[in-house]
Amino acid sequence: MKVVKQMVPLLVAIVILLLLFRIWVPTFLSPENMLNLTQQISVNTILALGMTLVILIGGIDLSVGAMVALVGTTTVYCLTSLSGESQNLFLVLISLLAGLGVAAVFGTFHGLAASKTAMPPFIITLASMLIARGCALRFNGGLPMPIDEHQTFLLAIGNGRLFDVIPIPVVIMLTLFLLMSLLLHRTRFGQHVYALGGNREAALYTGIPIVRVEILVYLLCSLMAGIAGMIHTSQLYSAEPGSGEMFELTAIAAVVVGGTSFTGGRGTMFGTLIGAVIIGILDKGLNQAGIHYSLQYIVKGAVILFAVYLDVRRNR
Amino acid sequence: MSATISPLLRLQGITKRFGFVTALDDVSLDLNAGEIHTLLGENGAGKSTLIKILGGIYQPDQGEVWLDQNLISLRSVADADRLKIRLIHQELSLAPNLSIAENIFLGREPVRYGILQRRQMKRQAEKLIAQLGLSEIEDVTAIVVDLSTAQQQLVEIARALSQAARVLILDEPTSSLSDVEVDALFNTLRRLRAQGVGIIYISHRMEEITRLSDRITVLRDGKAVGTAKTDEVDTSTLIQWMVGRDIQEHFPRPPYRPGGVALQVCQLTSPFVHDISFEVRYGEVLGLSGLIGAGRTELARALFGIDHVRSGTILIDGKPTQIHNPREALNQGLVLVPEDRKQQGLVQDQSVAFNIALPWLKDWIKGCVFHYQIRNAIVERTVKRFGIRLAGNEQPIRDLSGGNQQKVLVGRWMEKPPKILILDEPTRGIDVGAREDMYRIIGDLVEQGMALILISSDLDEVLNISHKVGTFRAGRLTGIYEAQNVSAEQIMQQLTGGEEIESC
Repeated sequence: MKVVKQMVPLLVAIVILLLLFRIWVPTFLSPENMLNLTQQISVNTILALGMTLVILIGGIDLSVGAMVALVGTTTVYCLTSLSGESQNLFLVLISLLAGLGVAAVFGTFHGLAASKTAMPPFIITLASMLIARGCALRFNGGLPMPIDEHQTFLLAIGNGRLFDVIPIPVVIMLTLFLLMSLLLHRTRFGQHVYALGGNREAALYTGIPIVRVEILVYLLCSLMAGIAGMIHTSQLYSAEPGSGEMFELTAIAAVVVGGTSFTGGRGTMFGTLIGAVIIGILDKGLNQAGIHYSLQYIVKGAVILFAVYLDVRRNR
Repeated sequence: MSATISPLLRLQGITKRFGFVTALDDVSLDLNAGEIHTLLGENGAGKSTLIKILGGIYQPDQGEVWLDQNLISLRSVADADRLKIRLIHQELSLAPNLSIAENIFLGREPVRYGILQRRQMKRQAEKLIAQLGLSEIEDVTAIVVDLSTAQQQLVEIARALSQAARVLILDEPTSSLSDVEVDALFNTLRRLRAQGVGIIYISHRMEEITRLSDRITVLRDGKAVGTAKTDEVDTSTLIQWMVGRDIQEHFPRPPYRPGGVALQVCQLTSPFVHDISFEVRYGEVLGLSGLIGAGRTELARALFGIDHVRSGTILIDGKPTQIHNPREALNQGLVLVPEDRKQQGLVQDQSVAFNIALPWLKDWIKGCVFHYQIRNAIVERTVKRFGIRLAGNEQPIRDLSGGNQQKVLVGRWMEKPPKILILDEPTRGIDVGAREDMYRIIGDLVEQGMALILISSDLDEVLNISHKVGTFRAGRLTGIYEAQNVSAEQIMQQLTGGEEIESC
């Protein structure tokens, strides 16, 4: 329960933020608005879940934003060129797998390069961010590719609602959150991640398969980016090669606001979820309160600084 | 109060509390100019607190510090600095990416019109090194990261002495030095003593203390138990003061009942060691002795699958084995407990239980289910078997003393005892009590029939604990001796350059 206790300040922060925006925006706490909020944070939260693993082992993945675009364009390109006018669920599945396959290739490469060479993950993923972005722009001459309106399955991923209430992206987000929490906090792999991030040498001497763990971590991060990319593409009703810019930074922000140590070894999935919620509330609240977008940036920057400062001070 | 010569530094009734813990209780101590005064005591006896007070890092709750018969207040590191009290910490605090000269002048680099005077810096550094007689250091423009640990320690000392010192305090400066390097350091200290510097020296090594110091003060549980002139006190009295009980035997050698050959190595070559051949039997301790970087640790790393083996064969139980990574080594029943607890051994952010149970995740995590009762049983068995002192299983491992951390590192493997255990510097930086415990553990393991390789820079330890001793020089195993038939002097000669002896 130590974990929950550490989250208390962040949970308090959420309540304060919600009440604060309620003053500015009377409808802010309405059920519909809150549902919208959860839908809007889903893409960032999913990215942040993967990013948490990477940051926990002391790494970083700058390529997730570009991966969102590349997976989106790959999937829609496959779907359009394979199926034409009508929807065939088998072909939809093939297209989705093609998109995730591309993400998997990148993720595996990141893990291999990070564990087998001395290249810093920052540089590896900076390079592959550019490469992935370039690949995305190769499709359709760099122009957006709309999703055909017959592709109801793909469109539902981003826009549908379960029982007409809960947005599908939120369902996906919560499912992935549970899976990732299970993986991190309830498996051997999770313990390996903490050991690797806490002390790489010690993990090596203890016989932990550090190469395998590292590859899996980067692979999972890229796959999360892939899933987020499908949701994002679906929400846009088209695959945009230029989409997802700066997404990696928002995801990193959610992870560190959620209390994960940037040097690795400390952090939780629950913290990341809370971090993503805080950033989501700020985004939405400032927007609905009609704050000029220039000020929004400044406020968000200040909040991230403050949150991380508090966290660092508490852990001194 | 009245002494024939008034002391350079006088501590009077120093008391320091941290919460409910009294770290220092009414401690008084004199230091004369031109004296080497050793502080002796187990970890937690208060030595570090005392020198941190002198360094201006802690302020005492009660008591006075006098320098040249003037009452002084040491409220900050800057105060100590101004009074020319120089403190050399146990842990290295150099910037690894800068050169020796740059490190020596770090924070007070010579500048003219804001421009760094590199040539002047180099000249002054060279002059200083020559003055201190640190012949180990050849080029002051060498980058610190490329130096051996011993050389780095000498740079640290050079930095402390780059400004005039009246009082010099060294906290276990020899913990990573080999005997030759210790000699060089001692010569420097003796020269400083002759120049009238007062030196407070902290060490665990009894042999050094009697060789070097003029007087010895023993601390136990925050109290000064006694002060004596070195030539008027014997080792067993000092140990009795330190631990409050009588310890007869320093180095209990395990009984020698060798079994079959556990590990046989033939002509092993890695990037760092060449043509190594030897064997270890069950129930046998093979000690490996050598200067830092001579190849002892490097051999262990090659056997454990960390460094790449270029050629040669490794036989375990007579069967040829290929070991490519630590995992495979562990599966073969070979365990290496590394030399650096902090860097290579423990996950410092995590709990004692996490660290003990880390090698055995397969036994207590099945799929997605954590079997905490299995984990706790593993942890408790280890804690009990090795007498690890802790507040609770979930206590952060960083809060444990060095000796207890070491017991965790060795003890956790005994859940499923390996065939062959390699201990790299198992007693470095731990106190006498914990050291005794470690020897007892080694004895127990060997009696149970384990094959043990003991790597140590402490010649007494290697010679007295091991049954056989191998000597390393420049990446080669230069000889293997029956420990009982060889003297420390003979080993020393091997380490520093005798004729080579073939074996295997």
